[in-house]
Amino acid sequence: MDEFEKTLTGQQAAIEAERCLYCHEAPCQNACPAHVPIPEFILSIRTGNLHGARVLLQSAHPLIETCGRICPEEGFCQSVCTRAKIDKPVCIRELHRFVTDATDPADGLVLPPAVSGTVAVVGGGPAGLACMRELRCLGFTCDLFEQRSVGGVPGQEVSQMRYPRTAEERETRHLTSLFASHVYAERVTDIASLRGRYDAVFVATGLALEVELRIDGTELAGVWHARDLLRKMKSGSLSGTGRRVGVIGGGNVAVEIASMLREEDQTRDVIIVYRRGIKELRAFRKEIDEATALGVTYQFLAVPDRIVGEGCVHGLEVTQARLCEEDESGRCRFEPLPGSHFTIPLDTVVIAVGQRADDGVFPGLGRRSGGFIDVGEDMQTNIAGIFAGGDAVHGAQTVVEAVADGKKAAEFIAAYVAGGRR
Amino acid sequence: MTYHQHDLSYDWLGIHLENPFILSAAPPTDELDMARDGLAAGWAGVVLKTTSVEGNPVRLKYPMMSSFGTASHKICGLGNIDLISQYHINDVCDRVAALKREFPSKMIAASIMGSRKEDWQSLVWQLRRAGADLIECSFSCPQGSMGEAPGRMLAQSVEATEKVARWVKEAAENTPVLIKITPQVTDIVEVARVLKRAGVDGVTASNSVPALMGVDIETLEPRPSIFGAGAYSGMTGMAIKPLTLRTIAEIARNVDIIISGNGGAYSWGDVVELMAVGASNVQFCTLPMHYGFGVIRDLTSGLAGYLDRKGFAGPMDIVGKALSRIKGQEELVAPHSRATIDLDTCVGCGNCFRACRDGAHRAIDWDSEKRQPSVDRDKCVGCAQCMQVCPVSAISIREEFGDNVHTFAYGIPGEHGR
Repeated sequence: MDEFEKTLTGQQAAIEAERCLYCHEAPCQNACPAHVPIPEFILSIRTGNLHGARVLLQSAHPLIETCGRICPEEGFCQSVCTRAKIDKPVCIRELHRFVTDATDPADGLVLPPAVSGTVAVVGGGPAGLACMRELRCLGFTCDLFEQRSVGGVPGQEVSQMRYPRTAEERETRHLTSLFASHVYAERVTDIASLRGRYDAVFVATGLALEVELRIDGTELAGVWHARDLLRKMKSGSLSGTGRRVGVIGGGNVAVEIASMLREEDQTRDVIIVYRRGIKELRAFRKEIDEATALGVTYQFLAVPDRIVGEGCVHGLEVTQARLCEEDESGRCRFEPLPGSHFTIPLDTVVIAVGQRADDGVFPGLGRRSGGFIDVGEDMQTNIAGIFAGGDAVHGAQTVVEAVADGKKAAEFIAAYVAGGRR
Repeated sequence: MTYHQHDLSYDWLGIHLENPFILSAAPPTDELDMARDGLAAGWAGVVLKTTSVEGNPVRLKYPMMSSFGTASHKICGLGNIDLISQYHINDVCDRVAALKREFPSKMIAASIMGSRKEDWQSLVWQLRRAGADLIECSFSCPQGSMGEAPGRMLAQSVEATEKVARWVKEAAENTPVLIKITPQVTDIVEVARVLKRAGVDGVTASNSVPALMGVDIETLEPRPSIFGAGAYSGMTGMAIKPLTLRTIAEIARNVDIIISGNGGAYSWGDVVELMAVGASNVQFCTLPMHYGFGVIRDLTSGLAGYLDRKGFAGPMDIVGKALSRIKGQEELVAPHSRATIDLDTCVGCGNCFRACRDGAHRAIDWDSEKRQPSVDRDKCVGCAQCMQVCPVSAISIREEFGDNVHTFAYGIPGEHGR
């Protein structure tokens, strides 16, 4: 499958790099949750020092292959680029990706002896991998527990068009081979006993469960949960869905799955059904643009009432809504208009209204409302020596935010172990 | 549709020039077709590429061109290991005659190089017979020099320069003669003085600058490399304009001699600069070799607009206008200047702060919250390094006397303050 975006050529990268103003206390770097030293790595591109650029990126950021492709840069570094005050922002993410594509991750890496202690990292997504790598670089021995494939959300949920398997594999192979002592492909149930075997534990299990859509008809054949379908398609299988697909939701997963279904079969109608308007979509602008370019269509201001059908899906009954005042997120609320319901004829419905934490696992861990793990300022849970971070603590975040969380946790864990409080 | 355009024509050494822009003795004038296209595009004249007598074989080596620059400005300086034309004097004379027939109102000149007196004088006689308006003598080609000693340029010896210039002028009689000199000498004024004494009509200041264009850091071969070996180049282009300005200014301040400017002009604004320090026309090579002959449209309209705006009657009004202002550093007054930053223009990149902190007087403070620089007026001496690094020209250097403000300098170098 062709990637949406081609990597920059050396010439393009060199010219783009010269647009960087090399700001003092660069705002891009401050806006990056992982604090990638952006002006410095761009300067290294300018001078033809790509290995030096790789070292700068790699030191700040464990998942550079991933973020070079899927980081929503318009929300972070590029949104504050000083160059925009002259013309337009420097294409920072594309320069970042250029470096990762042009260089080898393991080249010249030197690790300290692993004598500082042992840590179990539960969950092999961005937060867990980031924490693991930081700890290994601080001299810890880390074992990784991941019941599915290492890599987490990006590998499972982002389409191959934006994040091809080759890039994902390169990243996870690099991280596990260099920074994990062992990778256990098993499900952890007894977190307390795990804690007994290690100096500390980091829990970064993400959001394991789908948010249920409480309407009638979800049991019909032809109704999918987004992540099940994503997983199936990412593994290389055909989706097996029909000719007219409605995707309920307005986040990145909804837009992503709609794009993938359209890409799989250009003659299939794919309609994103969303309760609010176009401005309220939570998905990244770039993903929406890509979906639109692929021919995905939208039914805005439509509140799902029930999925209709007999045995299999025949359609989605919705009520028309209107936009009202803004909520705390700055997006407009919606209000159903009584008596305005209508049915969209469909043979497949994909539910992509979000994920939630699985609060049934790890009994004994304190949780907040919504099932999120409760942690203190030092990211420690109510059980001493067990730390937590990532989506399991904060809800859905971007990869780079999860990475920043994992890095921060590593510092707290290292301090905790060094303090001898075992 | 017609717009008013200021007349750029004037007489120079008895030759009518429709504008001050001349194609120099270089690759753009080495083929009849090319010279013809250049003249048809609007250039006021050509100096056909340097030729010599039969019997001086010209063995060119390719690749001959190289350049240095950055990814988005590849040609800051352009280098060549070219030699004189492979066409001999007979061909060049035919071309002079053909071009003169086709473009009677343009300046058709040719450049020559010889070694013995008979060669120089025979070259001159043949060109006069062909109808050349002017003869330029290359005393300064950095490669394949036929000067006194191998690897040395004729114009690097004042004795030889004077001697050969006399031979040429003697043969040329009333045909104007320009001597093209090198900036690579200990005392450019001395060179100009002996040329004045020899009676030539003017100097072309100046030729390409001897340079090593680069070393390939992978192979450690010089640039350009021919099977692993290379030679010094003659460098032209933007990078040498400041050297040319100084060369012209030094000659003009000390010797009363006509100067044809050459070396580094890339725009009409550069032409104004060269003329302001004493050149009375300007020759071009690198610019048309980069962007083609069509750049003449911008050169003429740009200069015409400038003359209108400044109220100058013609190009000659510019000549030497900056000279009286060029002094020795010790003669300048010592002002109490300070940098002023226009915060409405400032984009908050912090380059000025960093440059001042690490390269000047630590006189700029930085507000990390607001991303704003501010000048500490007690520490600032007005050195202007901050102004050089500011990407948006937000910084000026001023002296204030009560309510009176004198602004010392403005704009990004090369922007001509527009």
